[in-house]
Amino acid sequence: MSLADFLSSLQSLQDEASEAFAKVSSQQSLEDARVRFLGAKNGALRQIQKQLGKLDKDEKPQAGQKLNEVKRSLSAGLERATEALADAQSATTGPPADPTLPGEPLRLGHIHPITQTMDHLKEIMGRMGFETAEGPEVEDPWHNFVALNIPEDHPARDPLDNFYLATADAVAGEADSQLMRSQTSTVQIRVMENRQPPIRIVSLGRVYRPDAPDATHFPMFHQMEGLMVDRQVTMANLKTVLRVFANNYLGSDVQIRFRPSFFPFTEPSVEVDFLWNDQWIEFGGAGMVDPAVLSAVGYDPETVSGFAFGLGVERLCMRRHNITDIRDLYSGDMRFLSQF
Amino acid sequence: MLVSWKWLQRYVPLNMTPEDLAQRLSLSGLNHEGSQAIDQDIAIDLEVTSNRGDCLGHIGVAREIAVLYDAPLSIPEARPAAEGPPVADQVSVENRFPEACSRYTARLIRGVKVQPSPDWLVEALRSVFWKKRRDGSLEEYQPINNVVDVTNYVLMECGQPLHAFDLAKMDGGGQIQVRPARRGETLEAIDHKRYELDPSMCVIADASQPIAIAGVMGGADSEVDESTRDVVIESAIFSPLSVRRTARRLKLHSPSSFRFERRVDPEGVDWASRRCCELILETAGGTLAEGSVDTAPHTPAPGAVTLRLSQLERILGIQIDRDEVVRILTRLGCEQVTDQPQQIAWNPPSWRHDLTREADLIEEVARIHGYDQIPEDAPIPVAPSSKRSFDTAVEQVRHLLTAAGISEAMTPSIVTDRLDAMLSPWTDRPALQTETAMLEGARRLRRSLIPSLLGSRAANWAAANRHADLFEIAHTYQPGARSSDLPDEQYSLAWVYGGSFAQSKGIVETLLGRLGVTLQMEVVGETLEGFVADQTVRLKLAEETLGFVGVVSDQLQKTLKLPEPVTAAELSLPVLLAHCQLVPQFQAVSPYPTVSRDLNFVIEESVRWSQLRNVVRSALGTELTDVRYQETYRDPEKDGQERKRVLLSIDLQRSDATLTGNEADQLVERIISRCEQQLNARLLDS
Repeated sequence: MSLADFLSSLQSLQDEASEAFAKVSSQQSLEDARVRFLGAKNGALRQIQKQLGKLDKDEKPQAGQKLNEVKRSLSAGLERATEALADAQSATTGPPADPTLPGEPLRLGHIHPITQTMDHLKEIMGRMGFETAEGPEVEDPWHNFVALNIPEDHPARDPLDNFYLATADAVAGEADSQLMRSQTSTVQIRVMENRQPPIRIVSLGRVYRPDAPDATHFPMFHQMEGLMVDRQVTMANLKTVLRVFANNYLGSDVQIRFRPSFFPFTEPSVEVDFLWNDQWIEFGGAGMVDPAVLSAVGYDPETVSGFAFGLGVERLCMRRHNITDIRDLYSGDMRFLSQF
Repeated sequence: MLVSWKWLQRYVPLNMTPEDLAQRLSLSGLNHEGSQAIDQDIAIDLEVTSNRGDCLGHIGVAREIAVLYDAPLSIPEARPAAEGPPVADQVSVENRFPEACSRYTARLIRGVKVQPSPDWLVEALRSVFWKKRRDGSLEEYQPINNVVDVTNYVLMECGQPLHAFDLAKMDGGGQIQVRPARRGETLEAIDHKRYELDPSMCVIADASQPIAIAGVMGGADSEVDESTRDVVIESAIFSPLSVRRTARRLKLHSPSSFRFERRVDPEGVDWASRRCCELILETAGGTLAEGSVDTAPHTPAPGAVTLRLSQLERILGIQIDRDEVVRILTRLGCEQVTDQPQQIAWNPPSWRHDLTREADLIEEVARIHGYDQIPEDAPIPVAPSSKRSFDTAVEQVRHLLTAAGISEAMTPSIVTDRLDAMLSPWTDRPALQTETAMLEGARRLRRSLIPSLLGSRAANWAAANRHADLFEIAHTYQPGARSSDLPDEQYSLAWVYGGSFAQSKGIVETLLGRLGVTLQMEVVGETLEGFVADQTVRLKLAEETLGFVGVVSDQLQKTLKLPEPVTAAELSLPVLLAHCQLVPQFQAVSPYPTVSRDLNFVIEESVRWSQLRNVVRSALGTELTDVRYQETYRDPEKDGQERKRVLLSIDLQRSDATLTGNEADQLVERIISRCEQQLNARLLDS
């Protein structure tokens, strides 16, 4: 027998066997196929193996290699056929499958509701041309107070109403002291110091005030501050922008009203309310940028005017998601986080 | 500020319902907080903003009502008959602390008969001086006597605090000093508590000792009682800052300090004094000494303010009739100085400290005219706005981390010493601290987000949430070199994760891939407090520290009572974002097949994967499209000690033609020989 013949008979054996194993449909046909191809005495493979001795010595390694390969392949084929038969039998004879059993869910993380709210707010304001700006959370009195027209004797600067940093060589409230910003209005100043009008920005971020924590207060919370400065910006623009915002956020035609208020950095200053579910809801503070603020950043209040507004993100978030305790937002508790 | 419905009618007719009035006041600047029926009266609670000290008395509120309803306003003349000898001969005032007291006036009434107040007075005070107890019941005002009650009445009438001293109880007679308290001085106030004073505080003193804490509270020793015959009436201006600081320091807040902090009417001081004397004469008799002692009888008049009518439209976006403008400002007490067609100059009334600029007058006109008159259909011009690449990137970060099963947490920026001390990979400088604690004991500005997240993971575990895999994106505060420097606020991304070190590191690598970072990240072993020594690395991009990944140390894990190991990572977002490519760029896909080969190298233990990978990469050019780590195993019997086998896969591909088997063999050969030369590696036959 030539090497070529030996190899080709091995090949056809392999082809035949894989066909036969694929057709196995019962325990009997499985056993038949096994005996036929892999039978220890008279199996087809055994028959071919016996021919190995008839080959030339130098042909033997190659022939042996192929023989082993086919042997492995046949064994694997038998194994697969055995498993397939077992599967088929259990499928027909085992307990009935229940396709209504739950699938395997993906284990996904959750995005914090405050982030979701802030993204929503940015998106609405973005459509009205307001870009996002950010600034540091540790501030100097210039940005947190002075440039915002909050004089030294103003109660807002009181050490008990702010988180001043304990630094060795500065007195709380003095020019070289530092504090956790108490409002995102600081970003207004930082933006205006570095840019010329027209300006349309919103800044969202953490602010800090020493409130004792309860269901509606937390010493750290988030604000969204909006600022628009340009030639001919009026209070009517402010009211319009806030109404459009409210309609967008609350999803229906919302009534809006202004009540006079007082903020050192706006004049006139107003509180903004929305009529929602027949109830006036306090939304935040707003007003026309005080001329002193425009001057402080080097703008000419005779040529440009602007409006600013600030609102609490938590309030909007909690109302939207029916969250009743602000402390839950900052608990890191999965029972809370996994609901969003 | 509580106002009485009945009391208001002494100055202005109220031809509306209390509800209508409350609503109208809310919409013009005095927010209605609530109303309470008191006997036959209604107490209306109004929120007065800090710029409107003038509305801390009934007359101020009545003035607002008169303007809003265009009703007449009548204010008592306050002209008490002064039949006694001149007060200047009997009382003197020496002001040694003008920074804290810009004006001090005193009047003297001799021969009063101190007795219970008449009903009208008690009734008026009861309507506005009650307090609500916790159970909702009312704590009534307890009338004191006709002199003290009158001072309280006038306080609530015009907002000017007054004080009555018993002349006989003042050492040295009527020699009043306004001066800084002396170190060590104390005063028993009329609340019968003793207060320790210091030189920053202003006191009213007789010849020997303080008899009142200026603007805050009078002293018990000089209090007016049944035995009092002669009273000195103080009406003064104390500076807001001085009063606030003193009240804060003594934790003593009174109706007086509240009003001085919001400024009183500098010209109203004398009216209040006269009014007080008038009512004392009426209720307690006596003889008023002629004149008053006044340390600053002439208050400098603030300058006129010009309002250009064009500015109303420029700021408000509506036109308002000139006549309406004039009516509003006149009725608010402004005095027209000049009158031109396009602009009018005004002298604001002395009680309106807040009207000094044109913008202030615009606000006055707007709020009385009504903000409901301002339209809400004045759109702003269209302007483009683009999302910041920072926001785009951070959004991707969030998506990736949530896909990894990690949830976003937000935790307080200011932490306890215990959390801060756990670990601080970015800096050795001690954390900055706040003067007051934010939450219980939390005063340190966090230098890393990881301790907060570990704390949350532990709290979750305690609440039986085993798998609190959490991330947070927030600022950390790295202290500057000098304490006067603002801290370096680093936007950081951190997570704590129950997965292995390799999984945590894999998240970083996936993140970099997703954000289009093509630079090879450098990984350096690092020993860090709070982490396991050989399972912690510093990650670098272009020589800058991107962040840290590591396994939390056993000790810290035990301290936190966490049952299973946890990995933590923290990355600097600015460093990450500096190298990302947020707009992916398409690379042409080669139509020719890829040839993959496995290479099994025996190398020295000390050779790291990163070295091996770099050598493999550098051996070929663009034909090498991928190098993948597969596994490491060791067979010291065959390979010898300190050797390991690293199996890797490479992909080879040409962009212009099919790679032949021969070419592939040659390329592989180049890799093998490079590894042999540079790493003393040996390829194992397969």
